[in-house]
Amino acid sequence: MLSRNAQGLYWMGRYLERARHGCRLLSDQLRTMEDRPVEQIEQSWRRLYRAIDRTPLGGHLESIGADEDFMLADAYTLADDLTFEPTNPDAIRNCLAAARENARQVRNTVGDRMWSCLNLAYLDMRDIGIETIWNDQPGAFYFRAEDAIRTFGGIADNAMYRDDAWHFLRLGWFVERTQLVAALVSAHIATFPTGTPHGDADWRSLLRICEANFAYRRLHSHEHRPGHVIDFLVADPHLAHSLRHALGQLTSALDAVSAGKPLEVEAGRRAGRMAASIDHDWPDRDRNDDAATHAVLQGICDNCRHLHDDIVATYFDYEIEDTP
Amino acid sequence: MAGESLGRQSGAEGNSSKAGEGLFAAYETRPAFYDEMFAATGQPRAHCRELCEALDGMPRDEIAAMQAHAERSFLHEGITFAVYGEEGAQERIIPIDFLPRLVDAADWDLVERGLRQRLEALNRFLADVYGPGRILADGAVPVDLVRGCPQYRIEMQDVPVPHGVYVALCGTDIVRTNDGFVVLEDNLRVPSGVSYMLANRRALKTSLRNLFRRHHVRGIEHYGRLLRQTLAELAPPGVTDPCIVLLTPGVYNSAFYEHIFLAQEMGVELVQGSDLLVHNGFVYMRTTAGLRQVDVIYRRIDDDFIDPLAFRADSQLGTPGLFYAYRLGNVTIANAPGTGVADDKSVYAYVPDMIRYYLGEEPLLANVETHLCREPEGLEYTLDNLETLVVKMVGEAGGYGMLVGPHASPAERAAYAEEVRKDPANFISQPVLDLSVSPCLTDKGAAPRHVDLRPFVLRGRETRLVPGAFCRVALVEGSLVVNSSQGGGGKDLWVLSD
Repeated sequence: MLSRNAQGLYWMGRYLERARHGCRLLSDQLRTMEDRPVEQIEQSWRRLYRAIDRTPLGGHLESIGADEDFMLADAYTLADDLTFEPTNPDAIRNCLAAARENARQVRNTVGDRMWSCLNLAYLDMRDIGIETIWNDQPGAFYFRAEDAIRTFGGIADNAMYRDDAWHFLRLGWFVERTQLVAALVSAHIATFPTGTPHGDADWRSLLRICEANFAYRRLHSHEHRPGHVIDFLVADPHLAHSLRHALGQLTSALDAVSAGKPLEVEAGRRAGRMAASIDHDWPDRDRNDDAATHAVLQGICDNCRHLHDDIVATYFDYEIEDTP
Repeated sequence: MAGESLGRQSGAEGNSSKAGEGLFAAYETRPAFYDEMFAATGQPRAHCRELCEALDGMPRDEIAAMQAHAERSFLHEGITFAVYGEEGAQERIIPIDFLPRLVDAADWDLVERGLRQRLEALNRFLADVYGPGRILADGAVPVDLVRGCPQYRIEMQDVPVPHGVYVALCGTDIVRTNDGFVVLEDNLRVPSGVSYMLANRRALKTSLRNLFRRHHVRGIEHYGRLLRQTLAELAPPGVTDPCIVLLTPGVYNSAFYEHIFLAQEMGVELVQGSDLLVHNGFVYMRTTAGLRQVDVIYRRIDDDFIDPLAFRADSQLGTPGLFYAYRLGNVTIANAPGTGVADDKSVYAYVPDMIRYYLGEEPLLANVETHLCREPEGLEYTLDNLETLVVKMVGEAGGYGMLVGPHASPAERAAYAEEVRKDPANFISQPVLDLSVSPCLTDKGAAPRHVDLRPFVLRGRETRLVPGAFCRVALVEGSLVVNSSQGGGGKDLWVLSD
């Protein structure tokens, strides 16, 4: 497939996953704000901004006061920053616009229905601002946006031919997910260290962001033990938003685009190594040592960045040898 | 509904016929303009009678709702074009008018034969000016007009072109007056609009299903297949299963939707200049599995930008070395570089002469009387009659840089005259044509609006065209400007079977 198209699909997957993740983070944050004390809300914002490695517009979170009115006013600004801020490339609307722009370029690869789905989601969001959703029901807005992305994923899953177009879309989707989940879990531990007395609600919220709350309750218990929650989100291969699952998916996508020669290229090898480290090294780490956990997660984030570079150099922007 | 109830009052300037409450109750016909639906007597033309009766019986709101629904789905599906203005590019739809324009079999036959004849002559003209130059030597077309034309590409001189086909695709603008069909201009470079023709058809076919079926409208949906077949036939010699691509300037081009659409219809890759590279005289595209050779390029980029090594050095849109590969005959570019010399607004004046010169036939479709300002008498006539003429810049298209004399203020005319005097060779003038009108849906029921049509003709080993056209309509009452970039809309054109 044309390299530029593959690149467009890859980025489309990444942007959509980023936008979806943003929706999950914010809808969870809004939920937190409904019935939690101000200090916890502030902690939760701190985790959120750490997870996306961003400094809020206008300063650091430390400047947030403990006054409740101020906190609510500030939530408005922070949500705006993460949803509509034109200068924030990771703001939900910008991600959706970028995904749509990529979809437009590869429209003849993805087909009309996928394109229309994304176009509609974008048009719904194009001309509104934080004041519109804040006065209405902000939670419903994020739910709708996430739903549109899920619908897109559903159409892709049902309608796309399983060729390179599908695999590159999936590749972007899961590279992004790996990075986001690793960063989120890492930010969570930094904000709510496992050794300290913890509120059940914080760990529940982490599971909720990763769409894992229901499965966790069913498989484990209603008691959220930090070690279990982290293991679940990192190593359970059956959880759609776990790191292990994401790595499995991206490894299989890489295998597929490598024309039947799995792990032939550096990108494939790197993804394989990341998956193996979770299978073999992760269980042996000291569960009570947050620094060790953080180091592993940080390693996965770094490897993901290198993996991205490998993919670009292998499939999109490769050197031309003298004789084709 | 009885036919008589549809009779329109005719000939009375400004008088409306109010008989009946249907869609056409307030419709006026004016003898100055050919009406596509109503004869001068005010009665529907024979081939329009059934449509007219059916539409007259439909509530206006119902048609308006269908129209609004179609326009919404155009927006949602991204069937848009970009208009460039002070605020950057805006994505807009081309509004659709839901009252179809009907063309009967005899009229279409004339249009089709006329277009085939015209394209044949134009291709021979291009082969001649880039080859032996007989027509220039014989003085049938002035040498300086051709060689001095900005679209003349000396680089194309004596370059072999597969099957002598320079223009593989053209979109000819035709209007109808009381005197018959007239060709307004030949678009021989990168004509656009075919996707809107097909989108309008799809919208009407869905909404006016029964009416459509009853009319035995000839199909146009196979355009993509014909285009692909045409391009495949023009592949370099010896290539049996050519790799065809559509070369687009990218998402910021106003017709980008059309590029996607056509690539999809043909099942070919949509590439940008940066996706291609030239190596050892062959063109390749960069794929995830390595380089793949390209045989035919349907380019939607102007000549200037296709190859920075051959044409504009600052082009970011093209591929370095592409023209070199083309000269070697290793790749086909359709349309060929340099075709613009034949659709230049000054050269246009000589197309009837070309038809006589190459084919020994009389033109089936007339030209608009054209005054070339490069000639002293043409300039004088133009400046003396600005208030009655349409003046166009030869290098512009899409309705840009045009003066419609009767609609311009004295100050605008004076300013334009100044421009013409500064660079006369860049202007031509034509009389204001009495473009035909066709009923369009307005707030007050159907009302006449000016229309033109752009059929798309393909030329591979043989000439092909689908029986249809992008019918453009000036949605503003009295306006003669149908260009999409200037607020024009589209209509579906139904060519009826015998």
